[in-house]
Amino acid sequence: MTGPTENGAAVAGAAVGAAAGAAVGAADGPAAGTAAGTVADVAGPPGRTAALVLDRASVAYGDVPVLEELHGTVYEGEAVALIGPNGAGKSTLIKALLGLVPVVRGRIEVLGTSPDRARRDVAYVPQADTLDPDFPISVEQVVMMGRYRKIGWLRRPSAADREHAAAALEQVGLAERARHRFGTLSGGQRQRVLLARAIAAQPRLLLLDEPFNGVDAVSQHTILEAMDALKGRGTSVVVSTHDLAIAHLACDEVCLLNRHQFGFGPTDATLTPERLRATYGGHALELRGDRVIVTQT
Amino acid sequence: MNWFDSTVHRAMIEAATVGALGGVVGVLVVARRLPFFTMALTHATFPGIVIAALLGVDLYLGGGLFGLLVVLAVVALSRGRGQDFTAATGIALSGGFALGVVLVSAQDGFSKDLTAYTVGDILAVSTGDLAATGVVAVGVVLVLILLGKELLLAAFDPTGASALGLPTAVLDFVLLALIEVTVVAVVPALGAVLAVALLVGPAATARLLSDRLAMLFPLAAAIGVGCGVAGVWVSTLWNVAAGASIALLVGLAFGLAFLGSAARTRAGRAAARRLATATGS
Ligand SMILES: Nc1ncnc2c1ncn2[C@@H]1O[C@H](COP(=O)(O)OP(=O)(O)O)[C@@H](O)[C@H]1O
Ligand SMILES: [Mg+2]
Repeated sequence: MTGPTENGAAVAGAAVGAAAGAAVGAADGPAAGTAAGTVADVAGPPGRTAALVLDRASVAYGDVPVLEELHGTVYEGEAVALIGPNGAGKSTLIKALLGLVPVVRGRIEVLGTSPDRARRDVAYVPQADTLDPDFPISVEQVVMMGRYRKIGWLRRPSAADREHAAAALEQVGLAERARHRFGTLSGGQRQRVLLARAIAAQPRLLLLDEPFNGVDAVSQHTILEAMDALKGRGTSVVVSTHDLAIAHLACDEVCLLNRHQFGFGPTDATLTPERLRATYGGHALELRGDRVIVTQT
Repeated sequence: MNWFDSTVHRAMIEAATVGALGGVVGVLVVARRLPFFTMALTHATFPGIVIAALLGVDLYLGGGLFGLLVVLAVVALSRGRGQDFTAATGIALSGGFALGVVLVSAQDGFSKDLTAYTVGDILAVSTGDLAATGVVAVGVVLVLILLGKELLLAAFDPTGASALGLPTAVLDFVLLALIEVTVVAVVPALGAVLAVALLVGPAATARLLSDRLAMLFPLAAAIGVGCGVAGVWVSTLWNVAAGASIALLVGLAFGLAFLGSAARTRAGRAAARRLATATGS
């Protein structure tokens, strides 16, 4: 039921009426307090382990608070979409999950410990276009970087490391490009190489920062498939995106962000027009038939 | 007579060593887009060398310590909020060079040595200088072998490196320090103004010839050695300045590689066009 992305606008396939009916209370404005709208507060089935716990967490660069009062839980093998306009703090949250931006109030728990200590089991996929395309580095060298943590200081990759790297590259469908220079690949292919690097690290938590921005349909499909495969093995996924269709397609949970949390919970129940309007600012949202269209991303 | 007793022989060995060293370190300088920073370092090391000469202490030591201060200052300045690395570097460049010139000109009968500091005097190299350059070269290559993969990751994807828990600030400092000790080794031979030629030219030339990092290091080193030795030879043949001859040859090599790669690109496009016409697409 998801529509194609039109002119860069995000399209959600949720039936507006149904979604609105299932809404847990009204759109949670920052003033309303976020805990009330946190569907994930309802404990998951027994035996599930939390991969990520946000407990009234605030994140700041120095004295400037960027995100406040985040609250929610993501379980092992689940994917959560971070949704919000540019400057909402999606990248900042991902960096906080890596322990690169400090939590100033509340608590963030990653894989049952602090973000700093969890790092060895967390893999991060940056936006491909933030990397220098002229850098003289080959595709296989980039993927091998995913093994660095396991290789350790002063050591060279072993045969097993090479196998893991090759298998990861195979999984994103770029095995035959191993010896090409990274910068000569298309944007979507570069994004897949960075995903392969993360897969090679065998993470328990995967963080993807806007992996679908400007990528071709094949790459989008490959990334979604790889996400599913990882989830099947119990890896949790955090993915920031502007694309509501992808959130519906691939994510169990969504976290609506714009400096504050505007909702956190199961995708269909949380992506209500009211909450989206609140997250993106009322005028930015148009309703057309059964679709929610975010006109400004 | 010992082979090393010949001024020209010593100069050739020194030129080959600094050529290889400059080529290898230059690969990192070019990949990280640090030629301007490197030029600032060569200029800012200059007052350190002058001060060392005035105090009668080792030139390498003086230049090295002063350059290290500059590295720390630039890193500190550019890490401050809203500070620009390029601006900090520019200040270090002009400030350092000006300080060197002032110090030299303040000394009576010292000004004739200004040329030696600015364009170098490779024919005056002693056996001790040769040993010092050799030690620096071995040390730099050793660090590159041991920390190569971490330096590579920090250079290519700093956020990804921090995400792995690597100390990126330390790795950045190691890289800048490698460049710095290379500058200190090259400056006495080529001078503060020309040293940057060996630290950027061979690597930039290699970059035109190959895309593969593993190839760039030997290629840049070979170009550096070739230009260094040929420069000394040309200078003895026609009795012209050695440092300037080396820098000119580096420029010539880059020019040829540039024309070569441009011609290859054009030939590639023409071949693609012929193929397109032949297949009727
Ligand atoms: N290093 C930084 N220091 C201070 N403020 C920052 C820094 N990086 C981002 N910000 C601010 O944090 C806010 C959120 O940015 P970001 O997380 O990049 O948003 P998004 O990824 O959702 O577009 C922005 O207002 C941005 O200006
Ligand atoms: Mg972002």
